[in-house]
Amino acid sequence: MAVPLRFRLNHEDVEVHVQDPASTLLDLLRNDLGLTGTKSGCAIGYCGACTVIVDGRAVPSCLQLVGLLEGREVRTIEDLSGPDGLDPVQTAFVTCAGMQCGFCTPGHVMALRALLDQEPEPDEERLRQTVDGNYCRCTGYVKILDSAREAVSLQKSLTGEAR
Amino acid sequence: MSTTHAPVPGLPRERDVLPPVIGSAVQRIDAVEKVTGRASYAADTRIPRMLHAAVVRSPHAHARVLAVDTSRAARVPGVHAVITGADTAQVKWGAFRPDLYPLAVERVRYVGDEVAAVAAIDLETARYAAELIRVEYEVLPAVLDLDAALADGAPLVHDDAPGNLAHEFAFDRGGAREWLERSDVVVEGVWQSTRQWHGSIETIGCTAEWSQDRVTMWVNTQTPFLARQRYATALGLPLRAVRVVQTEIGGGFGGKSGDDNTSVICAILARKTGRPVQLVNTREEEFLASRPRIPMRYHVRLGFTSDGLVTAKEIDLVADNGAYTGKAQAVLGAATVRHDALFTYRAVKARSRLVYTNLVPTGAFRGFGNPSADWAVGQAWDLAATRLGIEVPDLFLLNAVESGSVSPHNHRISSCELKQCIRRAAAAIGWYDKRAAPTPHRGLAMGVSVHVSGRRSFGDYDGSSAIVRLTEDGRAAVIIGEGEIGTGARTTLAQIAAAELGLAVADISVSRPDTDLTTHALGALASRVTYVAGNAVKQAAERACEQLLAAAARQTGRPAAELWVEDGHVHAPAMPGEDTPLRQPVGTVVRAELYRPGGEPIVGLGSFDNPSEFPDQLRYGNESGAYNFVAEAAEVEVDPATGAVTVLELAAAVDCGTVLNPPLAEGQVEGAIAQGLGMALTERFDWDGGAPTRPNFVDYKMPTAGVMPKLHVEFADSYEPTGPFGAKGVGEIALDPVPSIVASAVADAVGVRVHELPITAEKIFWGIRTGSTTPPEQAGPGGLSESAEPAPPDRPAPPRDRAPGEER
Ligand code: FES
Ligand code: FES
Repeated sequence: MAVPLRFRLNHEDVEVHVQDPASTLLDLLRNDLGLTGTKSGCAIGYCGACTVIVDGRAVPSCLQLVGLLEGREVRTIEDLSGPDGLDPVQTAFVTCAGMQCGFCTPGHVMALRALLDQEPEPDEERLRQTVDGNYCRCTGYVKILDSAREAVSLQKSLTGEAR
Repeated sequence: MSTTHAPVPGLPRERDVLPPVIGSAVQRIDAVEKVTGRASYAADTRIPRMLHAAVVRSPHAHARVLAVDTSRAARVPGVHAVITGADTAQVKWGAFRPDLYPLAVERVRYVGDEVAAVAAIDLETARYAAELIRVEYEVLPAVLDLDAALADGAPLVHDDAPGNLAHEFAFDRGGAREWLERSDVVVEGVWQSTRQWHGSIETIGCTAEWSQDRVTMWVNTQTPFLARQRYATALGLPLRAVRVVQTEIGGGFGGKSGDDNTSVICAILARKTGRPVQLVNTREEEFLASRPRIPMRYHVRLGFTSDGLVTAKEIDLVADNGAYTGKAQAVLGAATVRHDALFTYRAVKARSRLVYTNLVPTGAFRGFGNPSADWAVGQAWDLAATRLGIEVPDLFLLNAVESGSVSPHNHRISSCELKQCIRRAAAAIGWYDKRAAPTPHRGLAMGVSVHVSGRRSFGDYDGSSAIVRLTEDGRAAVIIGEGEIGTGARTTLAQIAAAELGLAVADISVSRPDTDLTTHALGALASRVTYVAGNAVKQAAERACEQLLAAAARQTGRPAAELWVEDGHVHAPAMPGEDTPLRQPVGTVVRAELYRPGGEPIVGLGSFDNPSEFPDQLRYGNESGAYNFVAEAAEVEVDPATGAVTVLELAAAVDCGTVLNPPLAEGQVEGAIAQGLGMALTERFDWDGGAPTRPNFVDYKMPTAGVMPKLHVEFADSYEPTGPFGAKGVGEIALDPVPSIVASAVADAVGVRVHELPITAEKIFWGIRTGSTTPPEQAGPGGLSESAEPAPPDRPAPPRDRAPGEER
């Protein structure tokens, strides 16, 4: 029996019918909603490739049960860029060569986006902690950390302009 | 990194006038796709009516398959096909030694061996049905380590491999025993490396669809053309029936080079169902059924004169093939000979054996045997430095190869800045200052390595070809089958084309491999794409450019010799009597060349074959046209109370010729070092009954950002005359020395020499306390992790601050 489920996804109200409330947000996004920007690397909450933002916090979507999503606010990588261009975190990864294969990149970008939403000026330690939560097998993290620092200053200059 | 060079006599003048796009930090051409999540990886392929698949795997290390009952699975609503070995062509396949069936026929040979598979309407249904398949096994005795496999009367993994030997060879080049007997100092030891998994965050996956009698496979393979050949064999099909298209690849490292069954099973299911089928490994399956690094056990003997000149080296190498061979045979070759291209050995002797076991099959992994060779031979060199009382960098400098050196295996070294790398790595880590003022519990070490730029391995060809088409909108399309696994290869190829064509990199597109549509290519392995494919693209672009200038000459009535291309325009000086120079958009010239009676496109074809030799059965032959080098130095700190190791700093100086794109090259070095640190320190499983107890990321710990040391990455001032704009390969080399230098630095810090990977706190803890890295209750005869060097009678006092008697 399919259960109706309503939540906010990338600033839009969505209603889906889920067969199994214990299935994961990752599968819902990738298989039912066609949002394949969120990646699966381990399915046990360890690698961070599937990171999305739920109610402002970065969570592994492979552990987020759909049954608990009712009324909540979900943001995925697809929400970060649009006709107006890229999110500053994305721009930072582009300019700092922050990706190689790119498979971990959406997860890193979302984790950093959530951090900057909560703490616009995180210190080096916070950046390192955040990046530490997601695996990358390609880069050795040097250029991901460069990207994280660049994202902070980019965001700072953008909010400065907006004022 | 510097792109301005003083003229060097004998080198092409090109070196002095590298185009500005060469050596500049050009943005990756695929960066935006990747940061936005739009890049389409193997599991992102979506085809209408696509089914999903699941595989049933052996729970036994060795068993006879008596019966497979698929009836319950087949009745599950939503299941479209269930297949077993009987549904396959029952043909063995493999890159060098065909020994693998697509699905088990009569026997399973390791925990994870594929037995049956299901295609269903969705993944849950496929997995549920797979669980309903009942397989009846008769468990057979298994060989679960090298010694068991080599023992007299050991059970055979394959009946046609007596003694469980998959491959062996031996040579003596120059009379090594005699040289060793006449050496003043001989060091000796046994070192064991371990299975290391590629750990790509994206697992192996395929989507297959048949149309009449042809199958198209969208695969995340590094080597679409080589994989296609093997898949056709495995499917019992003619080559023409298989088309392979490369998807975006979420990390390769050798693990996605087409030696496993996933894509083959996917194609069989697609044929049986008549629908597209997708099969993607779970993380657990990736650990069981991909092809990790080969564990190797080296017995090494190295000889020196009393003043530190190396004489000879002898190795006896046994390598754990696992249940199937894949590329392990070629890896064994590299692991035996390549490191001899580092030092001026007078003689080398080797015996190498690749041994079947009932364990996870092994294969190609970044470094291709070198990291295991360096783990053993690199530590032997470190021991030798201690024995000789010479600092490691100085010992290396005394013996390092140079441009023009020829190894005992006929590696003919063209460009070589190994000595520059050694000096730079020593300077970057502050070697001599730190030696002068040692800090307790801290240790220093240095290692060097050499790698190929392409390796003649799959027949007598290691070439590449490319087509450059100038488009009527003034851009260029590079059509080439080499592909992209994440290194940025397509971006560097675009830079090379841009440099030749006088176009902006943003105006160059580079194809993805499609075995129907692109040029034939061996793909991303053996650090070959920059060097081999780069040369092919360069020539294709040159030829397209010549045609463009000839066309412009015809169109404008000027001599072609006066024309050049820059900034997307064809230029010429003003004609006598005119005041404006010619400045014609490239697209205008291309269009004018087409839109006329008998019009023609502007298309350049380029081709390059690695100027190398196909090594013979005994691995003699110059396997590559260009060799890249690295020197790395590490400083570690050991907590004497727990044995925990912290790598504080690591300096790498790399000779990869001209650096085409500094951030991309640095990224290769940084990522390789991270992988080397994982191999050195944490990447392992607990095993039981021939399999990891929990094959997942929780148990198998790879480096995270928090554990990375401070890295210093430098590139030697170097130029390879046969490389595109002087470039050589860079993808693998920086991983190779890392495990050995961490071990040697630990020995320097606390006097404990670890002989078996990984270098765990536990081994060091026991080493500090008991002199043996094996915990007391596990100690037995022949324990490998115990220091194996015989105590030399005439050992001079160690020059370093070392706890006495702890390193034997
Ligand atoms: S896929 Fe969710 S954390 Fe790895
Ligand atoms: S870029 Fe490949 S895993 Fe991070």
